[in-house]
Amino acid sequence: MPNKLISIGKAAKLLGVSIDTLRRWDLARRLPSIRSGLRGHRYYRQSDIDQFLQDVHSIAKKWVEDLEGSVPEQEIYCPTRDVFQARLEHFQLELARIAPIDTVSLITAVAGEIGNNSFDHNLGNWPDIGGVLFSYNLQNKSVVLADRGLGILATLKRVLPELNSADEALKVAFTKTVSGRFPETRGNGLKFVRTIIIDNPFTLYFQTGDAYLYLKQDESDVIIQPAKTPIRGCFAIIRL
Amino acid sequence: MIIRLKKFGNTLVSRTSGKEAWLAFQPTLNGIPDSEDVVVDFSDVVVLTPSWADEFLTPLQEQFGDRAKLQNSDNPSVIATLDILTKNKVVAT
Repeated sequence: MPNKLISIGKAAKLLGVSIDTLRRWDLARRLPSIRSGLRGHRYYRQSDIDQFLQDVHSIAKKWVEDLEGSVPEQEIYCPTRDVFQARLEHFQLELARIAPIDTVSLITAVAGEIGNNSFDHNLGNWPDIGGVLFSYNLQNKSVVLADRGLGILATLKRVLPELNSADEALKVAFTKTVSGRFPETRGNGLKFVRTIIIDNPFTLYFQTGDAYLYLKQDESDVIIQPAKTPIRGCFAIIRL
Repeated sequence: MIIRLKKFGNTLVSRTSGKEAWLAFQPTLNGIPDSEDVVVDFSDVVVLTPSWADEFLTPLQEQFGDRAKLQNSDNPSVIATLDILTKNKVVAT
């Protein structure tokens, strides 16, 4: 029922923001509410929430596509790792209300690896805007992560100088254990992400530069495709 | 001795927090007699990733070898993390 009215509390949960944030967005007409009842409580059309959530994906994509960097909305922006950790834990709690603990554990681990990867590989080297855009939608069960970092090619080229394109780098990142943080002997993060996605009913879209991959359950092949529009850094959508 | 990982948090995901946990725990680890096992207990850990584990469990394993043992490691992200740490070999250092 796309035009069903939902309470501000439910809308806040679906959007992963606080009720105060929704009140501010209402005043700013960013996401207008519908006032109803004698006391004028705020309600939201389901269709408006759906549209807004779709917009968040678009906002994230546009953020990494823009040639010039800008600071995203505070509600979806994690400028430091500490902020990301706090929001990830909040996401974990919210997800636990609608999903079994195994799903919560695995999806939070995937989002945590992708988000922390952005900080690990760009610390001190962010080209313009540092940090990670992190947003989730509990209704259509998706998580978006984006950064305007160096991207996987530049990161891996430090240890594998023979890499020449984003598609080669993306394939290596998801299939071989190699750390872009020389001389650290690590680099399991994206292989871990891949294993979880193909072993569970989840999907992952992951783009870096002008290349992307799409992973889903039981499809172990890593097929890299050219992206329509190149991006700065990395952009990921996880669906559960 | 038993190391209860939940004392470091329920969501153990970042490399930096793993490293911090390892450093903070050094005084305790240094006091363990040579004859004693070190048991890592994963009870109540909801989320574990290879990034955190690489900074804590890998050096623990290196330091204590066969004396390092794991228990209550049945959470799915714990299983996936331990699996990938065991399987994968690093190709570039």
